Amino acid sequence: MQALKVERLSKQFGGVSAVNRVSFSVEVGERLAIIGPNGAGKTTLFNLINGQLSCTEGRIYFYGQDVTSLPTHSRAHLGQARAFQIISLWQKLTVLDNAMLTLHGTKPHRFRMLRPTKDFKEIFNQAVETLRTLDLWEKRDEPVKNLAYGEKRRLEIGLSLAMQPKLLLLDEPSAGLSKEEGSDVIALIKNLKSDITVLMVDHDMDMIFEVADRIIVLHYGQIISDGTPEMIQRDQRVREIYMGIER
Amino acid sequence: MRWFIINMLNGVSYGMVLFLIASGMSIVLGAMGITNLAHGAIYMVGAYVGWTIAVKWGATFGLGLLVGGFFAGLVGLVIERGLLRHLYKQPNEQVLLTFGFVYILSNLCLWVWGGYSRAPFTAGFLDSSLEMFDFAYPKARLGIILIGLLLGAGLWWLQDKTRLGAIVRAGMDDKETTMALGINLERAFAILFFISSFIAGATGVIGAQLTGVDTELGMSVLLLGLIVIIVGGVGSIQGALLGGILIGVLDAFGRAVFPQFAMFIMYVTMIVVLIFRPTGLLGRKI
Amino acid sequence: METKREATMNVVPYVIGILILLIIPLFLSTYWVGLMIRFLIFALFAMSYNIVFGYTGLLSLGHAAFFGTGGYVIALLHLHYNVSLFWISAPFGVLVAAFIAALFGLIALRVSGIYFLLVTFALGEMLYSLAWNVKWLNSRGMQGITGIPLPDLAIPGLTIDRTWYYYLVLVLFIISFVLLNRFVRSPLGVGLVGIREDESRMKAVGYNTWLYKYIAFVISGAFAGIAGVLFSYYNYFVSPKHLGIATSFLPMVMAIMGGLGTFLGPVIGALVLVFVENLASIVSPQRWPLILGGLFVVTIIFARQGIGVYLWDLFTKVRQHFAGAKSREIV
Repeated sequence: MQALKVERLSKQFGGVSAVNRVSFSVEVGERLAIIGPNGAGKTTLFNLINGQLSCTEGRIYFYGQDVTSLPTHSRAHLGQARAFQIISLWQKLTVLDNAMLTLHGTKPHRFRMLRPTKDFKEIFNQAVETLRTLDLWEKRDEPVKNLAYGEKRRLEIGLSLAMQPKLLLLDEPSAGLSKEEGSDVIALIKNLKSDITVLMVDHDMDMIFEVADRIIVLHYGQIISDGTPEMIQRDQRVREIYMGIER
Repeated sequence: MRWFIINMLNGVSYGMVLFLIASGMSIVLGAMGITNLAHGAIYMVGAYVGWTIAVKWGATFGLGLLVGGFFAGLVGLVIERGLLRHLYKQPNEQVLLTFGFVYILSNLCLWVWGGYSRAPFTAGFLDSSLEMFDFAYPKARLGIILIGLLLGAGLWWLQDKTRLGAIVRAGMDDKETTMALGINLERAFAILFFISSFIAGATGVIGAQLTGVDTELGMSVLLLGLIVIIVGGVGSIQGALLGGILIGVLDAFGRAVFPQFAMFIMYVTMIVVLIFRPTGLLGRKI
Repeated sequence: METKREATMNVVPYVIGILILLIIPLFLSTYWVGLMIRFLIFALFAMSYNIVFGYTGLLSLGHAAFFGTGGYVIALLHLHYNVSLFWISAPFGVLVAAFIAALFGLIALRVSGIYFLLVTFALGEMLYSLAWNVKWLNSRGMQGITGIPLPDLAIPGLTIDRTWYYYLVLVLFIISFVLLNRFVRSPLGVGLVGIREDESRMKAVGYNTWLYKYIAFVISGAFAGIAGVLFSYYNYFVSPKHLGIATSFLPMVMAIMGGLGTFLGPVIGALVLVFVENLASIVSPQRWPLILGGLFVVTIIFARQGIGVYLWDLFTKVRQHFAGAKSREIV
């Protein structure tokens, strides 16, 4: 069974096709990178896979199940977790609150109305554990908006992982990070278990070549090339598109 | 047949007043993103001032109309320049603030003019009836329809065709860039709010023929405006027109057929629209 | 984590508060007891609104619909069926209010932002219009229903008077206070804040945000219904006005003046409102709406956090001062 399969996926905004009949599949455990110039449709593609946008045409299969019309929160329960291009955390809430709120999302007792969240020891301990691993336990009572950019990114990705997802969607994880923080992200992805599938979008080619098993190149909403990093490197069309965007 | 025409004219004339109320609110809502809940209260202020000029002091209706509108415009300007603009990007607070003014303005009118309501009034030359087919119809109502059409055309022209409209739409989209281009956005907002309030006040004077003049107008007119916007759709003159005429006509025929439940026709229409097209008949799909 | 000393210190103000509320009737005239009843009822009304607006971020303009419904049920049960037994009327009143909230929520939550505002406003006004026009909803020959007696508690030997009613209201207030407090600290309650701050992220991590908003809306309506039920007994009559925007405005003012999204804010707001209202009724009753509007506008512009938050900060400083002073002694 494939972790993810998209068939003839399209999204139109007025007359513009942001995503145009995109088809590909991802094996369980695969590290697939999606690259392309700005405006190629990468984030739109993520929005379609994760459910923030509904497609104009096409189907999406997640572990064999047709999720095309499922809302985002259902997809989270099925095992999707996402880190956004613009860091998505609750800025005014504390680091600990962010962790608790995220972890409760896929638990049945998120509907409980009479006992304080801290009483749910299992989640609380998991939150503590996660924050310690991320080296953010010290700052647990800080509002997230006070954290440094790199710490916020670390928290966001770390919490996505704590959701124990089957598919991790990373949208420009290295953006705005220093070289050192960037290598932390690389290490994190490399250390992921092999039953977690990773789909990532980024512009940092070094990182992509180090981490990706396979690369898909998107341009004006269509797939231009799909293959291993070596194949992509040699692909003439890709070189043309990226002339001037080399790092 | 005569019954039909009379009620149709009643509905359209009432609908024109509703259209004017809703379009004033829509301008500011669509262009500036501000829900001005004080719009009905500003209507009321215009009506009172117009009454004072046209009836109490015996000047012409036209003067009452202009002064009422102008005074209302000033009130709106004070609210926007003095207070609202400090709450840019805080839509909830803006709404609440304008709502506070409903209370302030209603009570001020009560203080100044006293609690008894004023009789409907209109221009002298309109205070008779026109012979149509085999019946006579009040000229005043025909006048309202005409004014409504004229003002409507003017507003549409303002919204779609003028530089001011374009400026405000641009400013709504991206304030920084618009201002960086040297466009005085603050002034555009102020002018727009003045225009919206002027229309509210002028409508108050015109509509006094149909709604009378009392201190409850702040709320009742607001309610009417909101229902028209819900039905017609937010942010467009066309939506206000469609909503206004539709509600006006339904109300007129409703009153003619089942008088006690005429009010409910409005609510039922509103609920039907909400269920099938939550953003209004001509509103954007969200 | 909190130390034992801090945890104890946190409870102290509540204990003091309850003690004061318990003893007050002994020192005050019936007039003032009446004001205290009014304060508690309004505080509950405001707390219920704080759930849907303060915590969840949904600006509803028709909250009185549920408040008024609670009151009308009590009134109608008495008017048409001669039912005064508290244990029947009150729960029924709350249930009907919750039902109306469940119904209105389905309509209103189809939209968001300004549309939500318009819809909640119009739905509230619709109920107002119904109450005004439908004969069955009015006492003969007037607007509204009058003659609502104090509730019959069916406790042998006890005749309810104003003072006993105060204690009934106080008990229900405390119960509601505790329930609401637990609610806002529960996973669902915290989730509401998450929705207010970033609904998109909430969905991405697995929350069905529509359902959360709906639950908040209904619970909010139910507690407004409790306040309405208690209000009808206190006020002796209910009128269409209690369903409309004029009454919907009150919890908004209280919640904002006291501190939106804080738990005690609405209570403080209610205290301010009831006592300024009382003051105005003595000094200049016709100008009360003007004063109310003015107070509201001033709070929004200058004290957006609310008077309540300002006082809470003050209290925290005082508490820290005393806790700090004690530890200095030990050293």
